[in-house]
Amino acid sequence: MKMGLASKIWIYFLLIATSAFVFFPVLYAFMISFMTGPEIIQGKFFPESISFENYSKVFSRLPLLSYLLNSFIVSVSVMLGQLVVCSLAAYAFVFFKFKGRDFIFFLFISTMMIPWEATMIPNVFTIRKLDWFNTYQGLTLPFFALAFGTFLLRQHFLTIPKELHEASQIAGLSRFRFFWRVVLPISKTSLVTLGAYGFLTTWNMYLWPLLITTNQSVRTVQIGLKQLQSQEIATEWGVVMAGVIVVIIPTLLLLFLGQKQLQKGLSQGALK
Amino acid sequence: MKKLLTSSLFWVLILAFAVLTACTNSDSKEKNEPTKNDTSSETEGTKDDGAATGEKVSIEFWHAMSGTGQESIDAIVKGFNESQDKYEVKAEFQGSYEESLTKLRGVGGTKDAPAITQVFEVGTKYMIDSGYIEPMQKFIDEDNYDLSQLEENILNYYRVDGELYSMPFNSSTPVMIYNKDAFKEAGLDPEKAPETFAEVIDAAAKLKTDEMYGFSMLTYGWFFEQLVATQGGLYVNEDNGRSGDATESLFNGPEGLNVFRFLDTMNKAGTFGNFGTNWDDIRSAFATGKVAMYMDSSAGVAGAINNAPFEVGVAYIPHADEVQRNGVVIGGASLWMSKGIAEEEQEAAWEFMKYMTTPEVQAKWHLDTGYFAINPAAYDEQNVKDKWAEFPQFKVTVDQLQDTIPGLATQGALISVFPESRQQIVTALEELYQGKDPQEVLDKAAEGTNRAMEIANKTKQ
Amino acid sequence: MTRIGRVWRKSVDGRTAALYLLPSIILFSVFVFYPMFRTIYLSFFLTDQTGNAAIMVGFENFVYLLGSSEFQNSMKATGLFVLYTVPITIILALFFALLANEKLKGIGFFRTMYSSTMGISVAASSVIWLFMFNPSIGMFNRLLGVLNLPQIQWLLDPEWALLSVSISTIWMNIGFSFLILLGGLQNIDEHLYESSRIDGAGYFYRLRRITLPMLSPTLFFIITISLINAFQTFGQIDILTKGGPSQSTNLIVYSIYREAFINYQFGTASAQAVILFLIILIVTILQFKLGERKVHYQ
Repeated sequence: MKMGLASKIWIYFLLIATSAFVFFPVLYAFMISFMTGPEIIQGKFFPESISFENYSKVFSRLPLLSYLLNSFIVSVSVMLGQLVVCSLAAYAFVFFKFKGRDFIFFLFISTMMIPWEATMIPNVFTIRKLDWFNTYQGLTLPFFALAFGTFLLRQHFLTIPKELHEASQIAGLSRFRFFWRVVLPISKTSLVTLGAYGFLTTWNMYLWPLLITTNQSVRTVQIGLKQLQSQEIATEWGVVMAGVIVVIIPTLLLLFLGQKQLQKGLSQGALK
Repeated sequence: MKKLLTSSLFWVLILAFAVLTACTNSDSKEKNEPTKNDTSSETEGTKDDGAATGEKVSIEFWHAMSGTGQESIDAIVKGFNESQDKYEVKAEFQGSYEESLTKLRGVGGTKDAPAITQVFEVGTKYMIDSGYIEPMQKFIDEDNYDLSQLEENILNYYRVDGELYSMPFNSSTPVMIYNKDAFKEAGLDPEKAPETFAEVIDAAAKLKTDEMYGFSMLTYGWFFEQLVATQGGLYVNEDNGRSGDATESLFNGPEGLNVFRFLDTMNKAGTFGNFGTNWDDIRSAFATGKVAMYMDSSAGVAGAINNAPFEVGVAYIPHADEVQRNGVVIGGASLWMSKGIAEEEQEAAWEFMKYMTTPEVQAKWHLDTGYFAINPAAYDEQNVKDKWAEFPQFKVTVDQLQDTIPGLATQGALISVFPESRQQIVTALEELYQGKDPQEVLDKAAEGTNRAMEIANKTKQ
Repeated sequence: MTRIGRVWRKSVDGRTAALYLLPSIILFSVFVFYPMFRTIYLSFFLTDQTGNAAIMVGFENFVYLLGSSEFQNSMKATGLFVLYTVPITIILALFFALLANEKLKGIGFFRTMYSSTMGISVAASSVIWLFMFNPSIGMFNRLLGVLNLPQIQWLLDPEWALLSVSISTIWMNIGFSFLILLGGLQNIDEHLYESSRIDGAGYFYRLRRITLPMLSPTLFFIITISLINAFQTFGQIDILTKGGPSQSTNLIVYSIYREAFINYQFGTASAQAVILFLIILIVTILQFKLGERKVHYQ
């Protein structure tokens, strides 16, 4: 389609203005992370000189690298776990007919409505009884089953033509092979979306890792952020912001890199 | 489609690899250091006829110190581990005081509990009642430890029925911090801070400009408790909860009302600045000249002096005009010894606590964080003297503590539902600043506290 | 063949389905349903200091809550918060998604910018916003100062605090809503537009007649998720306001957290959780009943 020059300029203007607006807080944090204490108090936007002192402080204060690695392991495990568990469940909901299907589906969806904080106390005790404090399974397993993910995939599976399923049955394809060979490849876009979602939300988890880790061995970066802020003693904002930048860079990077993939996947899905 | 999957996998792998290599590098560095230490301690051990060739007793120490406090603790722990070869302490950050206590509840009383836990002062009663802990007094008696070397006014808070239950650690008191330059401009004597409520109200009116409020206080129950205590007022009945389980709040009595009226007067006159519940907000307000006087923790004095582009004065907290100054109640946290863990772990914990109270360690702690040295001998250490010579303001905080008249009021209240009560006070203060009646909001807070105490007493086994 | 055998063979679908559902069912039972039942159980008790059920009180916790002004206030704040955040987030995200759906050079860059907030954790973004809202050194008040406008006590004024938290929440949620909506837009068949273009239909006509109806399943989905998430907001409250000032931002989940972890009243905390669950349940059922009729499935 051809667009008039005027409307093109107008759209670019809107794009630049609004995206700058959205991205501004990140940029601001980035600037602060290079400033010294007095500069921050004076409320400058650009640092006088680029100093990496805050960054070196952050890394000397916390084992940030091992926190990053832990976050990475935990996020990837949850992402893979969710993809497996949710796609299996969604497949059952769409391609099987059985008694109580709607009821079980409703039960699944209802778990979305249970606030996580409300179930947290008993969960901490469960993890404790399983002796899973300070373990990766304690950090990841409770999140493998995800109503949101099942819902998302189910919606996508529903758009797969029923004829395909019938044809596969006539061709003698087993249930699992149909799932593995046909359904999953068709739904790659949704799987990628869910994977990205799982990775990012897990990376961003905050209260749970704090409650079930008691030492540094499996701690994640979000806890590191908390450790930088102090209560009764003055907070060094520059150091905290440097921590913020270090913590968000991996996910932003992933988003930058994954954006194009996600893009291609989504548009290919549209062309199917 | 296949391309998409393989390429995204590729990226994930690359990222994983990058992070992994970065970490293994740092890991190998970390691993090298302890092995060096191990060999050195082993050689020492063989000199002692192999007395220490057995495995080290390793204990965990849970704390809630973040930021610079954590840095200092890590350094102190490292010092302890290197000072001897029988015990090894691992300091682990557990989140805020509340979060740390929640975790302790999961393991309290079992052998998985950390040997030492840092618990905030208002958790004292809860810890005593919990059955998770071994009273400190037992070790003090067995070891004939000389308690008199520690600061009496700090010990008083943690002593219940004549027994010391926990070892004081990070202790602070409130102080009033003020802007000396602003005092000069307003024609006030910068070397003599106002001492009574009326004097503060007066000074606040003089200090108020378009840009600057006269006085401010963090919206935090602790400061209210202090202003009540310095008038000799009790917080709850049963001798401030020290001769039995408290059942009724007394903070809505005349002393509490004095405090609320004091704040209300300034708030209505527009000389009081409300900077909320966040420590950093009120501090940056002071540093940027938006408020001339404010109440802060003694642990915040160093930060205030460093950040302010003007001269900073530190003074005692104000008291009501008609009464004598009683002084301040200790705040902060103390260290608790777990019950149900192995005996040698308790022994290790006790050794570590003794190490923590030595003058050298306390001097370092005091200088790093601004918390008090619980061992006053620390103030005679050269590095503390130097610092005090440079910043005489620090001495004011210690003087205020040592001038405190011991008594039920300044010993501090003991109730198990203190965190909830503090929350009630915060709400009362916020409503006061919105213009509600002082007595009415105080009574509401007292009622809420009474209900919480009633439930706590009812469910106590 | 016996009757049982026939039933057994007929139910083969159900049994295989159970196999596929098993991982989810086990995980949900252990980590969601069991704790939920435990919560319901505890809501009828007063608990002791270690969190164990001590005294059975029946519905007393619920009666107390419904009569307490604090809880009513917290419900009101939650309701307002949902109203402030959900519609604006979705409208803004839709607007951005429509812009970013144009085929222009460098559009990928803008898409990344819009979705960037999804990559920033609640903890990290709250810290950034906490600094921006700082009444003395934060950039909002600096900006007002430059423009010679009166200063606002963003997080400290009970009138403004909830709004301020809402603004930051909208920002935090926009990335995710944007991505989902953009995905939905991209799934719309190009041919639909082409035929309408031949008819000479204008942009807004196409938006109303093609885009929105075709997007309705995605919109329905994102509205449901946003509603549920808004009811469960926790992290930003903990970091930005701790429920204050004057309880104005004491959203229900935060109130539960405080009751349980600071006041150690698991009984009343559990009762609040049960009430919250019921509210979300009702809202979701209503949404499904009203929404599903309007949703256009392909």
